[in-house]
Amino acid sequence: MDGLSVTAPAHMAELRALFAATEGPMNFIAGGTDMLIAGRLLPAGGLLIDLSRIAGMASISTDGGDIRIGGATTVASIAADRGLAARLHALAEAAAQCGCVQVRNRATIGGNIANAAPAADLVPVLVAAEARLECIGRDGASFELAICDYTPDHGYLIAQVILSTNGLLPNSAFVKLGPRQDLSISRLNIALLAEFRDGHFGAVRIAAGALGPHPLRLPLAEVALAGKDLCSATLRDFLSALTAEVDAAIPGRSSQAYKRRAITGLGLDLVAQALGRSPRERLFEDAAR
Amino acid sequence: MNQLSRRVPLVDGVAKLTGALRFTADLHIDGLLHGALVLSTHPHARVVRIDTAAALAIEGVHEVFWHGNTPSHHYNSSIWFSGQKALADEQMFPQIVRHVGDRVAAVVADTEEIARHAARLIEVDYLDLPAIFDPEVALGHAGLPLRDDDTPTFLNPVAGETFVYGDLEAGFAAADLIVETRVTTPRSHHCAVETHACIARPEPDGRILILSPCQSVFAVQAVVGQALGLAPEKIRVQKTPIGGSFGGKAEPILDPLCAFFALQLRRPVIIRFDRHETFTATRTRSSVTGWMRTGFGVDGRILARETYALVDIGAYCTGGNYLPSSMLQRLVRLYDVPAERYSGRAVYTNTVPAGAFRGYGSPQIHTIAEISLDIAARRMGMDPVALRQRNLVGPGAIEPWQGLDLGNARGRECLARGAEAFGWAGRYQKGVGRGRWRRGVGVASATHINGCYPGFHEETTASLRLLPNGRAELVCALHDLGCGADTTLSQIAAETLGLRACDIVIVPADTDTCPYDLGTRASRMTYICGEAIRRAGVALAKSIRAAAGLELNTPADDLCLEAGTVRCRDDAGITLTDLAARLDSRGVELPTATESYRAQANPGSYAAHFAEVEVDRLTGRVKVTDYVAAHDVGWAINPMLVEGQIHGGIQIGIGYALYEDVAIDRATGRMRGDSFSRYTLANAPEMPPIRVLLVEEGEPTGPFGAKAVGEIATIPVAAAVVNAVNNALGTELTELPLSPERVVAAIG
Repeated sequence: MDGLSVTAPAHMAELRALFAATEGPMNFIAGGTDMLIAGRLLPAGGLLIDLSRIAGMASISTDGGDIRIGGATTVASIAADRGLAARLHALAEAAAQCGCVQVRNRATIGGNIANAAPAADLVPVLVAAEARLECIGRDGASFELAICDYTPDHGYLIAQVILSTNGLLPNSAFVKLGPRQDLSISRLNIALLAEFRDGHFGAVRIAAGALGPHPLRLPLAEVALAGKDLCSATLRDFLSALTAEVDAAIPGRSSQAYKRRAITGLGLDLVAQALGRSPRERLFEDAAR
Repeated sequence: MNQLSRRVPLVDGVAKLTGALRFTADLHIDGLLHGALVLSTHPHARVVRIDTAAALAIEGVHEVFWHGNTPSHHYNSSIWFSGQKALADEQMFPQIVRHVGDRVAAVVADTEEIARHAARLIEVDYLDLPAIFDPEVALGHAGLPLRDDDTPTFLNPVAGETFVYGDLEAGFAAADLIVETRVTTPRSHHCAVETHACIARPEPDGRILILSPCQSVFAVQAVVGQALGLAPEKIRVQKTPIGGSFGGKAEPILDPLCAFFALQLRRPVIIRFDRHETFTATRTRSSVTGWMRTGFGVDGRILARETYALVDIGAYCTGGNYLPSSMLQRLVRLYDVPAERYSGRAVYTNTVPAGAFRGYGSPQIHTIAEISLDIAARRMGMDPVALRQRNLVGPGAIEPWQGLDLGNARGRECLARGAEAFGWAGRYQKGVGRGRWRRGVGVASATHINGCYPGFHEETTASLRLLPNGRAELVCALHDLGCGADTTLSQIAAETLGLRACDIVIVPADTDTCPYDLGTRASRMTYICGEAIRRAGVALAKSIRAAAGLELNTPADDLCLEAGTVRCRDDAGITLTDLAARLDSRGVELPTATESYRAQANPGSYAAHFAEVEVDRLTGRVKVTDYVAAHDVGWAINPMLVEGQIHGGIQIGIGYALYEDVAIDRATGRMRGDSFSRYTLANAPEMPPIRVLLVEEGEPTGPFGAKAVGEIATIPVAAAVVNAVNNALGTELTELPLSPERVVAAIG
């Protein structure tokens, strides 16, 4: 019933030293909103490293070029950061809809990625934004990898999330579908980043969660919007593409029939939010018919 | 005379807010041991081997209990007095487990952590037996539920009720429209904040003391006595503060185990369930499938109605054998139906047992009936409010089943006033709207009982005594479940004595010090206990006036009690504190009064609820956007608490309509909704703006005209919401809850 030791380094250097000195299993905890819930067992042994007190690991930098978010930054901080909302609204929106107030106050962006839940709310945005992760390996050395290449349980620590300026697009949105408004695990969530000017879409990137073990890019849906005019016909093509994406992702699943329809509603909400419009406008209503 | 109709805050509110109130799991008891249970992972199986060696080898483990070393008495956890005849089919640890979550073994250890760890080390071999999860299939597993020696057979039906009234054939023959419906209601869970907990402590005199957050200390005493084969006088039960119940703690589940373990080990023992255990190993609301066939005249008058209700009561009888008759009792109180046939059957399945849950059959049967009525209204092209108004009973109506007078029944006023406040006439649409988001409105009426009359034991005794500090002590075996019963009843007592509610000192329910009472159930607290307390208060006031009259040399009839003082007509007087001191100084016992009240009536409480919803046709999401609840409460002793009950009832009802279902897997018998991450409740963001209207016409048999509101508050909600969804979409959805999948599937 023992064997698990806990430590809370105060500095990154102290953390790296721990990496170098520890031979047995290492696990990380920051907000603990996934690890400490009832019914989930704590690691039986090894070292549990509390990341919540490491100076500088909970920070958001949006000035200048790339956006950098420390791995221990809380979801609440992300939801409240105006600079971040101005540059990547979808991430602020996803953070605002993640869990509930209490969860958001504890949960971190690094934990949301590392927990690797299929329905994690922040991850579709990060996938659509082609985020890179600065990780620390078991040897204490830092390295970067694309979020799509991240796999949990390899002992990497997510020190920082990097959103390259090149990956960001001016319009973005995030919508989710859960069993209720707050404190709900997404049954579907979608993020969109897009260029849009003079009624015309430019580049578009879309990713969705809860359609497989990991959030997926939706290439058919991207093609349906990219380079097109905003009109009912485009939106109808977009909805057809979203339906096709569901059919391809979860063929034969009991949830397929529902999700292939529900995703059309989410899709309209997504585009409307990205463009600062209401899905109740006639344009969107017409597309829904 | 200033305590009635006042928004008095909860008398225990400050203690709760400051944490001063100690719940069962917070109590410090010297030498306390901790129990942890091993629950079945199989829905129906014979336990062929239990290996306890590894658990017993853990340091700090005192004992492992299982069917081999515990009493095998059959008992029924729903009985409410010792010696009550009821189908006894439950055992502390059955050799044949009957649902996932049934009790297999328990470890008692120095700490909960050790006990839970050791419980995980117990190896159990099961021999699977055929399991039934479908109540209609269960009907085929037929036979008498008891053998000649009163041992249970677990054959179906467990119980049934049939009622025929009037000329059914003639009614249907005269009908212009006959509507047939099938409605199913889900298994929902109470979700009280406090999970189940119990402490038992052996006493020096050989008795056992049980500290239990319960709804009746006498029920706990009776059930523990039956399970352990102990005489009731060997068992003392004290009610501890309760962190919500809604019926979930009406039946003692942990108490027999705790009591036995404590007696065996000669140490106090606590068991407290975690959330998963409370979901899977306690009780749920029964699910009911109802078939209803109703014949209507051209004017909307109900001419004949035929109902068949199949009740899934789960693995053990508990109080499930009462459900078919309980539902009938509630059904026949709402509308004036000249010809009625009702048949209800309760069946066992290999699922978690059903039990009491706010309304006890009323939400099920009224949901079935009110959804059916709305479907009929639509098919007739008739306004649902008008259809109900045409058929509702009125004051002085006699219900046909038990022949009871329904009292000052004001369901019509609820409907009329509610419809006006809601703006029903302008909002109800016969056709469906256009576009993705559809709005619709729905209405449902409901009635409920006030106590158990004419059932036996519907009486209670209240004692009030003047205290030396001028306050009054109330002894009445009261069980406040967190809804404010203690506050309301204190207001009633205080009103009779010229005191404030906070001047009433309530003695916690205790089998050793309180007279027998049925407990908090059947919407009886205000109506039954309140009347006993009112009568005791009137009697105590008379005694106090008599005593004061002697002190003041004034005729008692010239005195009144006001603001803690006995006043003369000339405004002179004596405070109750001074009066008590004078009496005490002369060795005179302080005035006391005891009154027993046996119910003579069981009037109906009535309500009409109105909901507006918005439905997203693409995602199937339903949002309740507006709500009006009109309630006939006779007279509101405390309007704030009445409104609180109604708000809470609406929260439960919206969940019942849209979200809540423990969702037993029909292949494995496992509960899918066994945690708060998988069982969806309506949270604050789901709650609509609510307007409450109180119809206060007074019930002559109730204390100060009051009737019950606790249970009825949740009864019409689900039907109102479902009817609103059907109105929005032009559908006839009848399978609850209306999950987004069901909504989308119905739209096609």
